[in-house]
Amino acid sequence: MTVIVYQKWTVHVFSPIENPTPRHSRYLWVQNPLPRSAPRLLFRVPASFLASAPLPPRSAIMSDEEHHFESKADAGASKTYPQQAGTIRKNGYIVIKNRPCKVVEVSTSKTGKHGHAKCHFVAIDIFNAKKLEDIVPSSHNCDVPHVTRTDYQLIDISEDGFVSLLTENGNTKDDLRLPTDETLLAQIKDGFAEGKDLVVTVMSAMGEEQICALKDIGPK
Amino acid sequence: MQGFPGPLPDLAQLQSTMVAIERACSLIQMHMNPAEAEKIINPLRQSSMPYQTCRFILENSEVPNARFQAAGAIGDAAIREWGMLTNENRKSLILFCLHYVMEHASAADAYVQLKVSAVAAQLVKRGWFDFIEAEKIGILIEVKQAILGFHGSDMQSAGISFLESLVSEFSPGTSTGMGLPKDYHEQCHSSMELNYLKEFYCWAKSAALNVADKIVSCYANISEEKVCSRALRFMFQVLNWNFKSSPSALDNSSSKSNSGSFGIRPDMGLLKKFERSLVEPGPLWHDALLSSGHMLWLLNFYAIVRQKHSSDMLWFDSPLAVSARQLIVQLCSLTGTIFPSDDGEMHIKHLTQILSAVIEWVEPPNIISGALRSGRSESEMIDGFHALLSMATLTGTMLFDNLLRSLRPFGTIHLLATLTCEVVQTYVIKNDDEQTWSSEALDIMLEIWTVILGRSGNDMKISAEGISSASNLFSTIVESHLKAAAESAFEDDSEADYFHVSVSRRDETLYAYALIARAAVETTVPFLTRLFSERFALLSQNNERMDPTQTLEELYWLLLITGHVLTDSGEGETVLVPEAIQDGFSGVTEELQHPVIVLSWSIISFAKQSLDPKMRNAYFSPRLMEAVIWFLARWVDTYLMPIDAAKGQLGISGHDEGLQQHPQSSKKVLLSFAGQHSQGETILDTIIRISMTTLTSYPGENELQALTCWKLLVVLVRRRHVCIHLVALESWRDLARAFANERTLFSLNARLQRSLAETLVCAASSFKDLETSNQYVRDLMGPMTAYLVDISSRNDLKAVAQQADAIYMVVSCLLERLRGASRATQPRTQKSIFEMGCAVMNSLLTLLELYKNQSTVVYLILKFVVDFVEGEVAFLSAKETSILVNFCLQLLRIYSSHNIGKISLSLSTSLQSEAQTEKYKDLRALLQLLTNICSKDLVDFSSFSDEAESTDIAEVIYVGLHIVTPLISLELLKYPKLSCDYFALISHLLEVYPEKVAQLNKEAFDHIVRTLDFGVCHQDVDIVDKCLRAVNALASYHYKEKIAGKEGLGAKAMSSEESNGEFQQSILSYFLRLLIQLLLYQDFRMELAGSAADALFPLVLCEQDLYQRLVQEILEKQSNPAIKTRLASAFYALTSTNQLSSSLDRNNRFRFRKNLQVFLIEVSGFMRII
Repeated sequence: MTVIVYQKWTVHVFSPIENPTPRHSRYLWVQNPLPRSAPRLLFRVPASFLASAPLPPRSAIMSDEEHHFESKADAGASKTYPQQAGTIRKNGYIVIKNRPCKVVEVSTSKTGKHGHAKCHFVAIDIFNAKKLEDIVPSSHNCDVPHVTRTDYQLIDISEDGFVSLLTENGNTKDDLRLPTDETLLAQIKDGFAEGKDLVVTVMSAMGEEQICALKDIGPK
Repeated sequence: MQGFPGPLPDLAQLQSTMVAIERACSLIQMHMNPAEAEKIINPLRQSSMPYQTCRFILENSEVPNARFQAAGAIGDAAIREWGMLTNENRKSLILFCLHYVMEHASAADAYVQLKVSAVAAQLVKRGWFDFIEAEKIGILIEVKQAILGFHGSDMQSAGISFLESLVSEFSPGTSTGMGLPKDYHEQCHSSMELNYLKEFYCWAKSAALNVADKIVSCYANISEEKVCSRALRFMFQVLNWNFKSSPSALDNSSSKSNSGSFGIRPDMGLLKKFERSLVEPGPLWHDALLSSGHMLWLLNFYAIVRQKHSSDMLWFDSPLAVSARQLIVQLCSLTGTIFPSDDGEMHIKHLTQILSAVIEWVEPPNIISGALRSGRSESEMIDGFHALLSMATLTGTMLFDNLLRSLRPFGTIHLLATLTCEVVQTYVIKNDDEQTWSSEALDIMLEIWTVILGRSGNDMKISAEGISSASNLFSTIVESHLKAAAESAFEDDSEADYFHVSVSRRDETLYAYALIARAAVETTVPFLTRLFSERFALLSQNNERMDPTQTLEELYWLLLITGHVLTDSGEGETVLVPEAIQDGFSGVTEELQHPVIVLSWSIISFAKQSLDPKMRNAYFSPRLMEAVIWFLARWVDTYLMPIDAAKGQLGISGHDEGLQQHPQSSKKVLLSFAGQHSQGETILDTIIRISMTTLTSYPGENELQALTCWKLLVVLVRRRHVCIHLVALESWRDLARAFANERTLFSLNARLQRSLAETLVCAASSFKDLETSNQYVRDLMGPMTAYLVDISSRNDLKAVAQQADAIYMVVSCLLERLRGASRATQPRTQKSIFEMGCAVMNSLLTLLELYKNQSTVVYLILKFVVDFVEGEVAFLSAKETSILVNFCLQLLRIYSSHNIGKISLSLSTSLQSEAQTEKYKDLRALLQLLTNICSKDLVDFSSFSDEAESTDIAEVIYVGLHIVTPLISLELLKYPKLSCDYFALISHLLEVYPEKVAQLNKEAFDHIVRTLDFGVCHQDVDIVDKCLRAVNALASYHYKEKIAGKEGLGAKAMSSEESNGEFQQSILSYFLRLLIQLLLYQDFRMELAGSAADALFPLVLCEQDLYQRLVQEILEKQSNPAIKTRLASAFYALTSTNQLSSSLDRNNRFRFRKNLQVFLIEVSGFMRII
């Protein structure tokens, strides 16, 4: 079997070579699948991919969860996890240019007629709404951000634009700013001023946080 | 001019107006301040009696735009003030326009003249029934004289262009609005057709004849040539008229008798693809078009002029050439009662005559296409093809072939084949952008082939010569495409955006190629086998020395065309072996000699090579594999254990083998070689192992894996007798084991997981006894449910659920699989699937709580429950139903508690709309869930019902509705699918349980009524229909209860008076008013008449007083006395004819439906204004 190096080319970002990993190829004619003009780079394998398997090990589904969960709890510190590009669908999440994004469009094409499929992602940064694009061979892994949403009750809005939130265990969380957008801001401030009981949903991913939803839980 | 309307202002005023208009027009032309210009021009159009001013401008202005505006103003004003003008006024306006056009026939700025003549045509139509016949003739006689050439050729052109405007004004499709009822336009249409159309045609014909001599002898000047081309164009326009008067019923029967014996057969609609239609003017036109030698003259004329200009490459696109050819092609589509019933003799003569001329346009093919390549216009050849298509449509295959025999030593099909060869060869080169004609030409050619070869039975018999031409043609097609494939093998696959469009177009083309191949099946199938084996051998000898890409692409193309030749696509139908292949090869009795079998084996053994990792890595690229899978799916569906063979064997076993007729033995061999008792099982095993390979060894190749899951595997489990063999195979068990216990298949994308689960569960239907089926499903799905239960019962779930990507991903995967399994529910597996669902119920609720912010998981859970309920609900016993229903209500409550009053905030509008869409999808799933639960009351297969424990479904639904409706806003109802589901549910509820509505609280009831009001005015017919049914249910319920002396809707029918501004009157009277409004004044669609009648009838009965008042109101509003009486009698007939009585039984409803139908037909003519 011939050994070749996987290649990745990216529209916007040229990632530095972190960990060139030789892997076995399955096909011969991939040897030069790219158009001559395309920039060629060695594929970067995310660190997390090497650290943990993406799926429970063989036969883990049935018997071995205990061990599996513990290892995951450790890995909880990682901000992203790997997922095969071909399985990422519209409305899923993806990391592009080191930013957490929501995929709004996926299209596939092939490198040459008899080459492999590659996925073309158009995605929107979930925090700053910027549009980003990426092309990845569909059998490769992409980084997918952990996106979590947590509900907190809104206790106070301070003068300097921070909110005070009540966490589940009774503590307060005071490090979150109000959204900058005028209309969102108005919705929160007005609701609060009217004395409604508001619950805000905070979305967090890759170390960033933002208020993403608002709900009135007061009695009707 | 005598009788010219309007007061004559003094000259200074006229001058100043003209200057103002001219200035405004120049402003428009320079794109400066158009608003201001409009302010000056509009008053002229809207002022009363502007005719003198307009006339002054038309006659004196130097600015063409100003004249144009003035002409338009005359038209607008006259149509508006028609009632105020005297007959004298009207005529003088028309004559003024006509004379103006004639006098300025040679002037520049033709668009002004065109506008004036269009205005004249409009006015003629407006006064068509006001003028007596003599007056009309008086107007038209001037036109006639002009056209016949009494006043020179410029006047001739002007006259013809007036007729053009007149004819297009009288065709309903192109007429201008006049504020008149629809039937006025209809009457004008038929009056024109009966009285004048043919006459006009003859005028144009004689105009053309007049100048034709000069053109032929080269004395003609430009304007005379123009007259000729315009006359021909006008004749073409007349033949495009939508002829109504020819009695089509009679026509059909006569043409049918024709088609049986003499091969004339009109196929309506076949020409539609190229936006052309058949011409059926009826017997009155016989003398004008057929017996007068018109056709011969036209053909000769074109031939002679063509001869003269043979060296001029541009001539083919000149107006004269184009219009003459268009007319000829149109005459070729002539059919119907215009031909006498002489066994089609006249028609055949007519077609042969045209063919003899048209053949010059397309023959000899190689010289023509050479000329085209060197720059000649293709329009003549394309027109020739269109003529051939018309002929093919109108004649049977045999007759079509014979048409040419009187002129040439070969038949038409031979000619067609040579032409197609030429076109295909040009088409596949494609490297030249200027050769775009080849694709259009190929389209027409293939359409002709589809027409003549796509017929069945007696109509499709081809001569031996035809067969050999088809065989040659197919070889050319395949060879040129293979060449093109090899050349394009290294191109990038850049068509991703149009992928599916291009695939369906490609399939259409390949289907036509396949028809050609099947016409000569004896030679084409061995030919394909040879080509395939050559390529295959090339690969096996290759030993990795050279790049195989070109061969791969050739194989790819060969697989596609072979698939099309051997099988039909049969979307959703039971696929049979194509007739031509069943009936062909009559001499073959040995299995190994049957060409189709040989070809099939060579492809299967090729596909088998992909199991060898070395071969796979070297040669089986994803694209080639896609073709292999696609081919296998179609092949399996057609040839593997075919139904015919299964039946045949049953029949044969009783009889003596010797009784089988010889010609059928080849068919028997073909149908049984992959049957249940021969190699069927081996092939099946190979195919499963190939599928396994594509699923595991081609990671990330979604297209390929989707084909495997959605096409190939689905086909395998479609037929039960195939399934029986399937589940016994070790390879199938391997697949099931991998699915249940291993992680390899987790790498498939989510939708494929679902389909895979569905397929695997489907196979359970093959087991003979119930318990085995259920055990099979349990073995398959047990691990999934156990895993889900296990995660959801963990103590530290909350901590790990969000971070643990594996869990998040695996959970989505498992939910998709559960959903797939429940979609495959069948009576025999229902039990185990229900167990599966029950096992995860609590886990699902936990997960819903946990993942409330992960919209994807929430949606997956909802969709699973929807499918689960849909599959199960009909079978459940009372106890099981209550378990299910309780679960669903809990689910609804949890969902609602998380989502009600929630506003999502986002910086990005597109993310915001995504969030909105997600919400809409969730709600839609919830509604589907309720609808599915509802169906329990209609379809119930459960064996026994225990009264004590049975749940009241209606109760449940209303509770559900209470939970769901607050989430649905009118904003969300703009999503068509959501509103469709919502109204389906509402109308169903109101129809089945109206008494429950009375118990609803006020808020909920108001909400329902508000949405109904919204729905009745909706665009979508389906939704309006559902709302009408709901209104019908409400009103009928109320009326019946009233009669029985009960309360009915009681307070609800009245109470909204004070509360809500919108519903001032009671709800029923509000709907009554709304509905009548809808019927009378809006563009009401007749397909809704039935449900509208059903809704209107009970409403009228409930609110009789109001109905009478409404009718009075409507009648009083009508100013025109004629319309008023017609309307009054229509209203009278609506409620009083047909022995209508005031009970709501079925008979009465039926009578009212009929009455309303009549009423609508009567009223729509004069109430709808066009």
